[in-house]
Amino acid sequence: MRSKFVDILTPIAKKKKKIIFMTADLGFNALEKLATAIDERFINAGVAEQNMMTVAAGLASLGFQVWVYSIAPFVTIKTLEEIKLDICLENLDVKIVGIGGGFDYEVAGVTHHATEDVGTLLTLPNMKIYTPAFAEDLFFVVKKMVDNRGPAYLRLTKLRKMVLNFAGYGNSRRLLKGKKITLVALGSIIDQAAEAGLKLNQEKNNTDLWVISELPIKLPKELINSLNQTKHLAVVEEHVLAGGLGQYLSQIILTNRISIKNFTHFYIKDNLSNKTGSRDYYLKKNGLDSKTIIKKLSQFI
Amino acid sequence: MKNCKMKSDYKKEKLPGSLRKKIIDLAYKSGCGHLGSCFSCLEILIQVLLYEMGPEDKFILSKGHAALALYVVANYQKKITDEELKTFFKDGTRLGIHPPAALCQEMPMATGSLGHGFSFACGLAKGFQFLYRQKSFAPKVYCLMSDGECNEGSVYEAAQFASFHKLDNLILIIDKNKLQAFGKAKEVLGDPVSVKKWQVFGFNVFSCDGHDLDDLKLSFAKIKKIKNQKPNLLICKTIKGKGVSFMENQLGWHYFHLDKKLYFKALKNLQKRYAL
Repeated sequence: MRSKFVDILTPIAKKKKKIIFMTADLGFNALEKLATAIDERFINAGVAEQNMMTVAAGLASLGFQVWVYSIAPFVTIKTLEEIKLDICLENLDVKIVGIGGGFDYEVAGVTHHATEDVGTLLTLPNMKIYTPAFAEDLFFVVKKMVDNRGPAYLRLTKLRKMVLNFAGYGNSRRLLKGKKITLVALGSIIDQAAEAGLKLNQEKNNTDLWVISELPIKLPKELINSLNQTKHLAVVEEHVLAGGLGQYLSQIILTNRISIKNFTHFYIKDNLSNKTGSRDYYLKKNGLDSKTIIKKLSQFI
Repeated sequence: MKNCKMKSDYKKEKLPGSLRKKIIDLAYKSGCGHLGSCFSCLEILIQVLLYEMGPEDKFILSKGHAALALYVVANYQKKITDEELKTFFKDGTRLGIHPPAALCQEMPMATGSLGHGFSFACGLAKGFQFLYRQKSFAPKVYCLMSDGECNEGSVYEAAQFASFHKLDNLILIIDKNKLQAFGKAKEVLGDPVSVKKWQVFGFNVFSCDGHDLDDLKLSFAKIKKIKNQKPNLLICKTIKGKGVSFMENQLGWHYFHLDKKLYFKALKNLQKRYAL
């Protein structure tokens, strides 16, 4: 979704002179258009992410809105202290764009995967996390990020072939209706969850399929009603167990005393492997592919 | 900012002694350490905050563990009230061992984790260059680091940034007391603040006696005269624990607290040295 992101942000940044865009030397064949459009407000900060984060904080403290951009792990866990102390503490208007969530960087391997980005950033006050699911989401997400002052993180994943159509943007959305399982996906892993949902709904409407694109989030009544009806929450996320969507929803369920009978969680179990491969390889290895989701959930139908 | 010219030279001469006494009093009452670090940079803080800064300039105390010295100078400037200063180290205070964010309008940043302040100062200096493009000069950003802090890798990321972006409105100051948290700087990772090193990074580099207000004044005057689009560094040679003989150049006074006996000994020492 990189080029789409650039298409959306470029005219906005050109118009809004308080926007500064910084990259940690990433963006070949992607950011050139933006760089030309905003000229000196585009800064290549070099391969120096920690400095970039704190320079961004300094600029933001003078009233600029600063976008920082690099591969997701380099602008999240690599720079966590800068984000926490220099940006979040004073609620500064810095927008972090992490390229490639989960296993998007495939054979580039573990150094380039972002498998704990959401969890670590969710621990920080004032941080808003965006995990778009469809390419069409980006327009709404970028606009929200521009308009709402304060720190935010965009998990900018790759554009994937979708078996479902975009259903209008919302921080949480119902994509399929069903009565047996409430299946909730975090952002871009919707490609696998949607395939599973469609298959499980072939004969009967079994799967109530939802996608979450923002965290923290207040759950809508419809999703709570869905859980009350199905009594089965299934969560799919391209993220480790700790701090991810599954734990987030579990907390809400316990706090609100929602009674469910089954909880099935599909998450990354092995995020530090020396063996590498394609995203499909990683998804299969971690049981996050649509086939495994179908196999596991069909036992409940 | 107070108009420095209103103050008499006599008062200025007295400040290093009287503010040291205030630091000793507060440290004794609270049980706070870091006295060595506070004393090595007190004259720098006095000169910068009282006599160098303009109304729109910013200051970052990157060596946040010297916050008590910053507080007493800011209190002298009436940026921190006497009432608030009394809350130092107490539950619910803004004035902890390390400075909070937005201590006052010209000191926006919370510090304490070393290696952050310089980058933040670069962001401010760059931002001022954007905002003041049409004017003849941009406000200045002062950032005070310690020599031990220069072990941090982020310092060199920031050094490259400052130099490449021609942040000539940035004045970096290093309190070179030659002692860091667990040893002599030279014996930990080598001299982190050599003139040559920083010149190679593209800075105008000046050195002075960091306890001599006249030397500090002269050095800042030189820095302000230069117009070569380079960022500036003032290396201040200092003594950790300066002013109290038994604290001077003693690593332990990075940590030690004052008991009653030492408190009175320190007071006596200050009275004698600074004719209080």
